[in-house]
Amino acid sequence: MKLSHAIFLGFTVILLLFSFTTFVNFRQSQAVKENTEWVARSQGVIRDVLRYQRNISDLQSSLRGYFLTGDESLMEPYYASEAENKQLISELNQLMPAGSLQLKKLKVIENLNMRWKTEYAQPLIEARNRADESDAAANTFRRFYGEKIKSQFEKQVNQQMRDEFREITNIEYGLRSTRRAVLDKSVAQTRSLSITLTVLSIAAGFSIALYLSYHISRRINEMVSMAQRITEGKFDTILKDTSKDELSHLAGSLNRMARILDENISQLERKNQELDRFSYVVSHDLKAPLRGIENVILWTEEDFGDNLPPKMLEYVGLVKKQINRMSNFIEGLLALSKIGRERRVLEWVDTGQMLTEIIELLSPGSGLRVIVPGKMPKLYTEKLPLQQIFINLISNAIKYHDRQEGQIAISYDEHDHVYEFKVTDDGPGIDPQYHQKIFIIFQTLKPKDEFESTGVGLAIVKKILDDRKCTIRVDSDPGKGASFIFTWPKAAA
Amino acid sequence: MIEKVANILLVEDNYIDIRNAERALQKINANHRLFIAHDGQQALAMLRGEGVEKINPKPSIILLDINMPKMNGLEFLTELRRDEERKDIKVFITTTSDHETDRALSKELGISGYILKPIRINNPGSSMDNFNLLIDLLNLKK
Repeated sequence: MKLSHAIFLGFTVILLLFSFTTFVNFRQSQAVKENTEWVARSQGVIRDVLRYQRNISDLQSSLRGYFLTGDESLMEPYYASEAENKQLISELNQLMPAGSLQLKKLKVIENLNMRWKTEYAQPLIEARNRADESDAAANTFRRFYGEKIKSQFEKQVNQQMRDEFREITNIEYGLRSTRRAVLDKSVAQTRSLSITLTVLSIAAGFSIALYLSYHISRRINEMVSMAQRITEGKFDTILKDTSKDELSHLAGSLNRMARILDENISQLERKNQELDRFSYVVSHDLKAPLRGIENVILWTEEDFGDNLPPKMLEYVGLVKKQINRMSNFIEGLLALSKIGRERRVLEWVDTGQMLTEIIELLSPGSGLRVIVPGKMPKLYTEKLPLQQIFINLISNAIKYHDRQEGQIAISYDEHDHVYEFKVTDDGPGIDPQYHQKIFIIFQTLKPKDEFESTGVGLAIVKKILDDRKCTIRVDSDPGKGASFIFTWPKAAA
Repeated sequence: MIEKVANILLVEDNYIDIRNAERALQKINANHRLFIAHDGQQALAMLRGEGVEKINPKPSIILLDINMPKMNGLEFLTELRRDEERKDIKVFITTTSDHETDRALSKELGISGYILKPIRINNPGSSMDNFNLLIDLLNLKK
């Protein structure tokens, strides 16, 4: 799977989980709101039912007052309650679900009330209305009222109504507690569901972040260390990445790049070796004919030396000079081509002692002093190339020195991985425009016939250092002497 | 002193080196006959008289170059040491370099010494001793 797809998928999963959590919580809040509305309705039902019951009671007591006093004003609450009851019944019809048991019971109460009104209240009211007209009518009313009371009709109707009212309120309370239990359960469920979902989302987010950081950073680190190895010259390095995503494409490209670099560098190394071989073979093969010429000249001198005309002797002398120069060139070329072909031998080298030996070998003469610090580094390294560098640099300083008196100073600096050696003279110095040129083979700054120099010494120094990835630079101005500064590895690679 | 003629075989392909050897031997006035072969094969043929006139008596000394066409010096030396009749002939290797390897080689191959080219009586260096040894061996020193 592509990395971008993996990232996209991961975030989509997290988003979906969070959306679902939000949806579930939204549903729950709706349920709570519905329940609140329902509870408000239920409270309305209870309130209306109680009011209805009280009104019926008021109705009966105001009627009783009228029966006793005959005061018609006492009938006003009766009619008011009756009117309000109509209102309450229509309200309750709306509040209670259609076809419910409560509604049926309300109908029963209504009917009971109607029976009470038609069979009890209205006949008595009519009788009472007439009672004031005559004593007989009053007596009739009293007898009639007494019978009604005796029949206990009103009491029985009231009893039935009370029972029905109680049942209605009981049913309502029962409904309420059931709904409460359901709501509580759903709140609990929602809570645990949303906690689970949140935990899941966080876990998913964490895993994706971990996966990405581990998966991506580990592989990027591998690439970084590969690049590091390449800069160290290890081109045969290869990244193993079996995934099929953008990073493995990058790894593939890096591998291709390393392979091409490896091929090119190997080819370059091969070419360099070929060049070394070539110059070795050429210089070696040039030696034989030159030696031949030299011999023939020698024979001429030996056999005819005394009889040769002076001009001829002079020419023979010139030929010998040219042979000498040619021989020096060939030896220089051979020496240069031998660098890097020789086996590298490591040994403990005391540079101080080595320099003492070199100075003894070069014997700079009385006017020139070579100063070596008392404390010089000891290192485990290739002795011969390092010695060759010092010999060439010091002998150059001696050879090119232009005064009777002078000094050549050796010094060094210690760095992390290399020593930096410095050979400083107070000779004629070198113009900066030649600072690069002097390291090129056969380049000398003086006419060749005038000065015994082949222009190989610094080229050899440069090649030895190049082969070991070391550097050399010259710090000089005409008339101010010259410093040759080169690095040498503390530990052999 | 008894006049004694020594036969010397020089195996060398380089004309200049042949001439140098001739000159050096002439200079010391050695009572010798110098035979010249240009490669190992020719040298063996001359020693054994195969197709050419045999060197008779067999040479007391062979001066041997290493780098030669057809059969080089080392191959010739190996072949010579297998030859029962001639394996005791003293062999000097002629060489242009004065390296440690040459000394080691001379010990390994059981040779009498090496002589630095160009062969000259006053050629300085280690070849001098060997050349003197050569002269002693020839018993020709005056």
